[in-house]
Amino acid sequence: MTYDALASIARDIRITTFRSIAHAGGGHFGGSLSIAEILAVLYFSEMTVYPEQPDDPRRDRFILSKGHAGPALYTALALRGYFPVEQLKLIDVPLSPYPKHVDRLKLKGIEASTGPLGQGLSIGCGMAISFKQQRLENRVYVLMGDGECDSGQGWEAAMACAKYKLDNLTLIIDRNKCQIDGFCDDIMPIEPLGSKYEAFGWYALQTDGHDVQAISEACSEARRTIGKPTVIIADTVKGRGVSFMEGQAIWHSGQVSESQLAEGLAQLEEMSHG
Amino acid sequence: MAEYEQVKTCYGQILVELGERNPDIFVIEADLMKASGSAPFLERFADRHINVGVAEQNLVGVAAGLAAAGRIPFACTMANFISQRSCDQVAMSVSYNKLPVKLIGCYAGITQEKNGGTHISIMDLAVMRCLPYMTVIAPGDCREFSQAVAAAADIDGPVYIRMPKLLPKDIFCGASEQFFPGKAYQLAAGDDAAIISTGLASGLAREAAELLADDGIHVRVLHLPTLKPVDEDAVAACARETGRIITVEDHGVYGGLGSLVSEITAARCPVPVSMLGMRDTFGLTADLDFQLDYFGLTPGHIRSTVKQLMNIAS
Repeated sequence: MTYDALASIARDIRITTFRSIAHAGGGHFGGSLSIAEILAVLYFSEMTVYPEQPDDPRRDRFILSKGHAGPALYTALALRGYFPVEQLKLIDVPLSPYPKHVDRLKLKGIEASTGPLGQGLSIGCGMAISFKQQRLENRVYVLMGDGECDSGQGWEAAMACAKYKLDNLTLIIDRNKCQIDGFCDDIMPIEPLGSKYEAFGWYALQTDGHDVQAISEACSEARRTIGKPTVIIADTVKGRGVSFMEGQAIWHSGQVSESQLAEGLAQLEEMSHG
Repeated sequence: MAEYEQVKTCYGQILVELGERNPDIFVIEADLMKASGSAPFLERFADRHINVGVAEQNLVGVAAGLAAAGRIPFACTMANFISQRSCDQVAMSVSYNKLPVKLIGCYAGITQEKNGGTHISIMDLAVMRCLPYMTVIAPGDCREFSQAVAAAADIDGPVYIRMPKLLPKDIFCGASEQFFPGKAYQLAAGDDAAIISTGLASGLAREAAELLADDGIHVRVLHLPTLKPVDEDAVAACARETGRIITVEDHGVYGGLGSLVSEITAARCPVPVSMLGMRDTFGLTADLDFQLDYFGLTPGHIRSTVKQLMNIAS
């Protein structure tokens, strides 16, 4: 798939995610809009997946550790053919397969139920250990938020991933620089993030998280890296594509008015055609 | 007093047996292999033995990942660490994901002895019992412990097994009782009262029944190794047929066996329930005998409590 095609898919993910969260009555706009390109690259290029047989054992595994970005993942899965896009209207509907935080028991294609932050990398670590022990080619991808990097468990897992030389695991950090209570730099500074992972025994890359080519190339480099796990720190903008949301911690979670919905959609459409 | 054995010897042996039978068995440790006794598994199956260091939250998360990849992980650390420090990971990564992780809480309860109040688990059974899908087992002797570990490997869901440092060698007096999850076991017959016990306490309850028999009092002893799913009918029968129940556990009575039995009797056959266990307190630094006496769990204490409940002067 060409980079232009991937970029186009990312725009579709972003528009549909924005519309879906608005339809659900609000939700985690900021951290869902920031990961559209990452999801497009993973699900339409990088990962081996089988939408018609989501349980195929040959599949790569993706863990959305920042489980609150569920609507963005649901959208990527729908566009990839796991289920009809119309189903996205059921996000947050009681008893639907699409709760706010992703749930593996409710939807095929979700590899781990997440919500409380900081747990995804440990789960990915266990999966990657299993694949390595069986000498299987499956790869594991974990997506964490940058605020999530505050949690201790993530660093416990980082040590274990390095100890077990999990070069079949790629961690992507959505470095959108905001967390619930404000800017990461104010709430809990995490820089120098790449150096921290390097000190923990990882190969660390930093890339533009809204450039599909850059993300793809980083993923390829991770594949070529032998003997250690790779972290890709993806520089992103929280609320990307909607001007009144961009870089605003307040849009971690919220509701849009009718006029905000129209304004946001217009901007995202323009982005698509621009 | 009963003859006690180190449970870790059993754990190492049964893990190796399971590992030989099933290539999906994994063992995960958090720098407490020496307490759990899993070293024989490491020697035999090094590529299926993971040690994450002093990182209990990651211990549970890695086990969840292994289970999600189709493996059968046994994750072990001290009972209070696995139920307290990694409670969220047990609840979310394991229970909420409904993954077949086998959680082993070693050095459980007062068998921590001189490690004292920081290490003695008083709420592990309560915490685990609250979690959806979780099977909760507190074996009463070493043989039953090994059988419970083997049974856990076949349960398609999360399991918590309480693993004291010491357990009686045999509370069934040689009877070849096979452990089945969810089954209650009668260790003594009688209708004057019922002693319901779990884990380490069941050996003590049995001894208490023998003391009471000398006094002409015939109590039923019901050993409940599985607290969830529990054999409610056996508990209700105790209430119905004896009219009074004493529960015994080396655990807090809040949320533990005492609460569990009361929940059942309240719904099915309300009778007086006298709860022996730890009540709004932590453990202390002392050997096992001192702890048993201090917390009122000796056969003599149990005998006195039965008599009090029967309004018989000791």
